[in-house]
Amino acid sequence: MATTYVSENAILPGQVHTYFGGSEHNIFRAYRHEVAGLAESSEEERVGKLGDIFRSSGLKVAAQKYEYTAAGRNTTGKNVYAILQGPRADATEAVVLIAAWRNMDGVLNQSGVALVLTLARYFKRWSVWSKDIIFLIPSDSTAGPQAWVDAYHSGHDPETIESLPLKSGALQAAVAVDYPAGPWGHRFDKLHIIYDGINGQLPNLDLFNTAVSIASGQMGIGCTIQRMWNHRDTYSERLQTMLRGMLSAGLGHATGPHSSFIPYHVDAITLQTVGDGWHDEMSLGRTVESLFRSLNNLLEHLHQSFFLYLLMHANRFVSIGTYLPSAMLVAVSFTIASIALWVQSGQPTEKATVGVWHSDEADAKEQDVTVVEQDGMTALISTAELKVVERHMLLPIAFVSAAHFLGLLPLYVFTRASATPGNASQTLTTTFYAFATSTALLPALSAVALSRLFAPTSQQWALTACFSLLLLGLFLSALATLNFSLAILVGVLGSPLCLVPALITSTPSRTSVPSTSVAAGADTSSSHRTTSTGIGGSVANVTLYVLLLAASPPALLLAACHYWNANVGAVLAAAGTAWHVQGAWTGVVVCLVWWPAWFVAAVGVAAGGLGL
Amino acid sequence: MTFEPEGTHSNASMRNLHLLHGTLPHEVVCTENLTPFLKLLPCKGKAGISSLLDGHKLFDANWQTMAVDVKPVCPEDGTECILQIEQTVDMVLDIERSKRPRDNPMPRPIPTEDLVCDNSKPYHGGDSCFPLDRTSEMSWSLNKVFGRPLKGSCPLTTEDGRDSETVCINVPHEREVQERTAADLVKKEHEDGYLRCYKISPNLDFDLILPEQYLSSNLPLSHPSLHAFRSITGHGQERGGVRAILTNPSLTSPVRFVYLESLPWFMKPYLHTLRATISSSTAPLPDQYLEPQQAPNTADPIKQMYYRPAVDRHRGTHLELLLELPPASTLTLTYDFEKSLLRYTEYPPDANRGFDVAPAVIRLLSSSSSSSSSNGSSLLGASEYLRTTSLLLPLPTPDFSMPYNVIILTSTVMALAFGSIFNILVRRFVAADEAPGYGGKGAKDE
Repeated sequence: MATTYVSENAILPGQVHTYFGGSEHNIFRAYRHEVAGLAESSEEERVGKLGDIFRSSGLKVAAQKYEYTAAGRNTTGKNVYAILQGPRADATEAVVLIAAWRNMDGVLNQSGVALVLTLARYFKRWSVWSKDIIFLIPSDSTAGPQAWVDAYHSGHDPETIESLPLKSGALQAAVAVDYPAGPWGHRFDKLHIIYDGINGQLPNLDLFNTAVSIASGQMGIGCTIQRMWNHRDTYSERLQTMLRGMLSAGLGHATGPHSSFIPYHVDAITLQTVGDGWHDEMSLGRTVESLFRSLNNLLEHLHQSFFLYLLMHANRFVSIGTYLPSAMLVAVSFTIASIALWVQSGQPTEKATVGVWHSDEADAKEQDVTVVEQDGMTALISTAELKVVERHMLLPIAFVSAAHFLGLLPLYVFTRASATPGNASQTLTTTFYAFATSTALLPALSAVALSRLFAPTSQQWALTACFSLLLLGLFLSALATLNFSLAILVGVLGSPLCLVPALITSTPSRTSVPSTSVAAGADTSSSHRTTSTGIGGSVANVTLYVLLLAASPPALLLAACHYWNANVGAVLAAAGTAWHVQGAWTGVVVCLVWWPAWFVAAVGVAAGGLGL
Repeated sequence: MTFEPEGTHSNASMRNLHLLHGTLPHEVVCTENLTPFLKLLPCKGKAGISSLLDGHKLFDANWQTMAVDVKPVCPEDGTECILQIEQTVDMVLDIERSKRPRDNPMPRPIPTEDLVCDNSKPYHGGDSCFPLDRTSEMSWSLNKVFGRPLKGSCPLTTEDGRDSETVCINVPHEREVQERTAADLVKKEHEDGYLRCYKISPNLDFDLILPEQYLSSNLPLSHPSLHAFRSITGHGQERGGVRAILTNPSLTSPVRFVYLESLPWFMKPYLHTLRATISSSTAPLPDQYLEPQQAPNTADPIKQMYYRPAVDRHRGTHLELLLELPPASTLTLTYDFEKSLLRYTEYPPDANRGFDVAPAVIRLLSSSSSSSSSNGSSLLGASEYLRTTSLLLPLPTPDFSMPYNVIILTSTVMALAFGSIFNILVRRFVAADEAPGYGGKGAKDE
């Protein structure tokens, strides 16, 4: 943990006088009335009016229509934006100032939009700008900015999202303002700085630090993060802030209009006003002015400071060098478990492995000992122990791959379900419960089917678990470098999987499976028979299976929804929207990394429990 | 295709001429850019219209360009050829900003009582003011905009005629223009009265004052024959794309032009991805919402192509396209490129800024029937050039502090190792009692 510091020398936060004030306040109030007047008007009227105000300030204005279909809803809107061409700029770089028409809670961002309009008019008079400034007013806080930034980099689908008629140079940074005070204003207490991007990507720490240093140092506005309204910098509050930040990053969802910019390597933050205090819109305006003067100083893209960090307080952070080992340790634990299983599977079956059933037991006893001479010493070792055990790997590899490909199925089903029109929440809830049920039953069925069809040996079961854990460790360590929080979340929630192979107790009645000779076709009736005979075999394994079920992705999702009092359908709909609109791949990780690993472990437990 | 020799050249000399084309895509604006430019002028910026050129004002303009064109001119009568130098400065000024006094350049909010408010708004009052658009033409004078008046003329010719009229102003008929100078001056109106030219006397200050005025008519501005816009598409460290949008705003005549792209070698275009699509646009006004309607034209707009691929670290890509654009249509030219990895010594100090890519040069070819030939009849062969904005190309940039850290770390290790090994090698170890002077025993006997 260290205190934050501004690393880039060019930024010089808070070194300039800010002049925003005086008669600009009158103009701001008038614009706020204008914005309030547009609250009920249609999209076209609003875009036209906002465009007129920008145009009267002498800026180039353009608009962009977009349409997204996700989670059964048609999200349409029209972004309006204006470009201030910097007098000292050559149109190669640009900075964006955003005020979404509606903020993340769907509240009209009246003062925020009015502030951007006023600042546009005010900035136009300065001759210091060495970068173009783009003033963007999207219709909402997630889809609108996403459509705009996609189109800016020509990564959009031209069928549903219009191309931008007007562009500037490479985007260097983006600052969003969220100030939903009505036409009579509201004095705020603190600035809540939101910095999480899609998929847990973060803006350069320098941008955040600059904002904090300007707001608190120059303007005397306190800053807070992660909805910690009263942060007294105690250990528990710092921990809570960090955990909230990790959860938010792990979920990978959009937290503000700035989130969409970060995947394009455009550093972005949202300044949100919170609480009741004595700071008015002019303080916020001056903060933004000073922030833009600092960004204007930048000679290079923000690169000096950290891109990977955890914040515990507005002034305290943990750098990647400190926290990454934890995720790596979690990931490595899976790899170590898998190596242990691999070594175990190669050892002779009589002694080494627990509960291994060997058909040639009688032959083994009759075998001789071997004389081994080494370093002038002689030892007698049973030949069986020296025997090289051949590993039969085809079946485990095939099964683990099949399990991972099976993960595509829920992904596809949820993607389809969230894309179908209609009541998405309802559809998704149904789909979810179907998925949860099949998740509970499928391992048992697969275990039965597997043993019927291939009669895997215990070595093959061990190898299956070994490969599955190896893959999980591999995925998680790779993921830890991309989205640390998600990796450690999945790692911690999946940690039971690491212990499962060791806990599977062999049933004493393990003899040759009676039904190995049964043909593959006639499985329905025979599987019932096996189940009924197997259940009595090991209560411990059934308990383990139930415990494992409790640690399954759908069960944990249900538990989380219950804890935070959320509707599963709504949560899934939001996840679907995030996936369709913003390309958040949390769902992919859950479906293709976590769920298959859990599935393979559960099949192992089921096989053990059924005495197969 | 883009560049052709201008002026008069004999056939013999033409054979020995080479076309050299170089670009410096990024140049930090500095008032020192102006000094050598002014020194080329006969009056060195002390008189004539160049006396208005002040670095602070010029580079504070919203847009400015400086050009020097040199060409040989051989008179018809066979006398010695001369070199003709033409220097151009164009600037777009924000009058309000330029009028700000130099000692107080801060755009402080204007006093509340000076605000021009829209009184019709229902919320209008003491604390709210919806600013009104200015309906009148702003008042300005040369003195106020440039900070100084014109310091007399720089007489290059003694003849009367167009060449002796050194100051011209292009305003609507009804615009009131006051001249302020101590001497008398000759005023002439050209081109239906829109262009007013003055012949001013040397050594005397000259100022033009345009008072605030309500105008009913606008100046008929000439329409550009082509709008060009170029931007980088895509993101990431590996590859990207370039999209150039070229719009022909004319409703009647097609445009033929040469599009020259000279790219640095580390930006490797894939020529097979070059696409040129034409869509007809209904509202070809750049300030309005551009909503091109997709109506693909089947005719290939690329008439001719010249391509010289890049050689790593030696020369860049040279791509010339001869294009024809039908009236009222928009041409979208796209291609993808790959970014190559530079050697670490090839990065500039500000590597993270990105690399500038030179603007595309567009040469408008006058079609034989078009009216533009009559306009530029005096400058034979002079063509119209357009340049797009330059682009900023982010290349994969290593973390330059990393080799630095490695060097520091290895140096430390080496220093430690060297120090201790050297210490062991050169130090002679002797038993304590053998050492001279130790304990006094051995040394005393000697």
